[in-house]
Amino acid sequence: MDTNKILVAIDGSENSRRAIDYVAAIIKDCQWFKVKLLYIERSPDRDFFADDDLWKKACVKQRKAMHDFLSKGKQLLLQRGIEEERVQTDYVESCNSPLGGNPDYCSRGTSIAQDILHVAKEEGFGTVAIGRRGVSKAEEFMFGSVSSKIIHSGSNCTIWVVQ
Amino acid sequence: MSESVKQILERLNPNAYVDRYGQVYTDTGDFMRITGGDIIVLNNEHYLVLRDEVERSFGIEDPKYWVKRCRHLETGMRRILKLVFHEEFFLQLGEIKVPCYRSPRKEARILDLVRGDGRFMQGFSAKDPAGNNVRVLDVIRGKRLDQWIHELDFDHKTYFHEYLPQILPKFIAACEAIKFLHDRGEKHGDIRRDHLWVETGTGKYVWIDFDYTFDFHENPFGLDIFGLGGLLLYIVGKGFYSHQNIASLYADGRSVPGIVEGDFLLVFKNRLANLKKIFPYIPESLNWVLMHFSGSSTVYYETVDEFLQDLRPCLQQMA
Repeated sequence: MDTNKILVAIDGSENSRRAIDYVAAIIKDCQWFKVKLLYIERSPDRDFFADDDLWKKACVKQRKAMHDFLSKGKQLLLQRGIEEERVQTDYVESCNSPLGGNPDYCSRGTSIAQDILHVAKEEGFGTVAIGRRGVSKAEEFMFGSVSSKIIHSGSNCTIWVVQ
Repeated sequence: MSESVKQILERLNPNAYVDRYGQVYTDTGDFMRITGGDIIVLNNEHYLVLRDEVERSFGIEDPKYWVKRCRHLETGMRRILKLVFHEEFFLQLGEIKVPCYRSPRKEARILDLVRGDGRFMQGFSAKDPAGNNVRVLDVIRGKRLDQWIHELDFDHKTYFHEYLPQILPKFIAACEAIKFLHDRGEKHGDIRRDHLWVETGTGKYVWIDFDYTFDFHENPFGLDIFGLGGLLLYIVGKGFYSHQNIASLYADGRSVPGIVEGDFLLVFKNRLANLKKIFPYIPESLNWVLMHFSGSSTVYYETVDEFLQDLRPCLQQMA
């Protein structure tokens, strides 16, 4: 585990943009920190589409949007004065995506939190930063909460939850 | 020239009675046009449409035009044909809106997965010449579990001691059936009281209707587990208890137990989860399972396994 490595998990939302902002503000004057922006792909559910063509189109659209978000997130860090060699991005594909690719690791879609913690552990990140949606108790009960699960399941790392 | 309804009936079932001789359909896409007296041809077999299926809820009949009650003319057996109806909608659960979708291919996939498994409705799917995925379902002879329980004419205490010990093991078996789906990456999608039936003769519990789906990324089986919790609450309570129901239970002048907001379900805030407060003979362990679905809970079940790990020991305590 390397305390100088920060993993920022993003999902394309305003909350994750705030998490990037926060991390940028913390580390901008600390030359020794490295940051990785991580997106775990959530492919649209195939069963939500009348046919595979529509499903694939939705997957392509979403993949492009998230790659764009990762690029913008990286630009945000660079604009805050963080050198390019200190910033990485990572897009973990869904195992269920119809868009091909044969990544070493893919998300099975059962828990984004566990996927994030897997990457953090495998790559030795000392800190995991994540934005929080601020869901109600009933919504958390029903839909689950990535940030709550990371807080409860994360170990051997510091966790920053950015509200 | 293709056969008419009359010719098909004369060939396959000359004694069949129909109000009208309708049309023969091979393309089932326009399901609103298909009605009683029509014949659907699927895989060269013939299904005489008797009527549209109707869903009854709160005394109101809601026709399901994409679901046809049929007679399979080659065998004489009753069948239900579910035609393709892609529907995206929001399920309102208390204050939460859940985006849901009606997926013919999901139901078709589950029918394949559970073939021969008596815990689920049986059937098969076939595509009509236009590519519509039609599901051909066996008709379950039986009654909805909630109706079956509702019609037991006993007070709760008698029901609890004499009937629940027989019902609970069957409910656990039904939960194990849902776990079977989850273990294979599938969900039921619409677990509610009218989708678990008691089969006449065997008394087995049978799940029906698998075409709903939802997409929760961090809690993929959340809605199914919520549904199981609601069913358990109904089964243990022999109904649901609102503030009003509770007040009527104590109309004889006994003092009403102190009930707080956290005693009710987290999602449906007018259904009492803490049943032990009104039925003190309910064992703590069983009430503990119910309380996981209440507003006062801080820990929720994420898998059917977790739910069953707490529920199974309750059987011994009840015995």
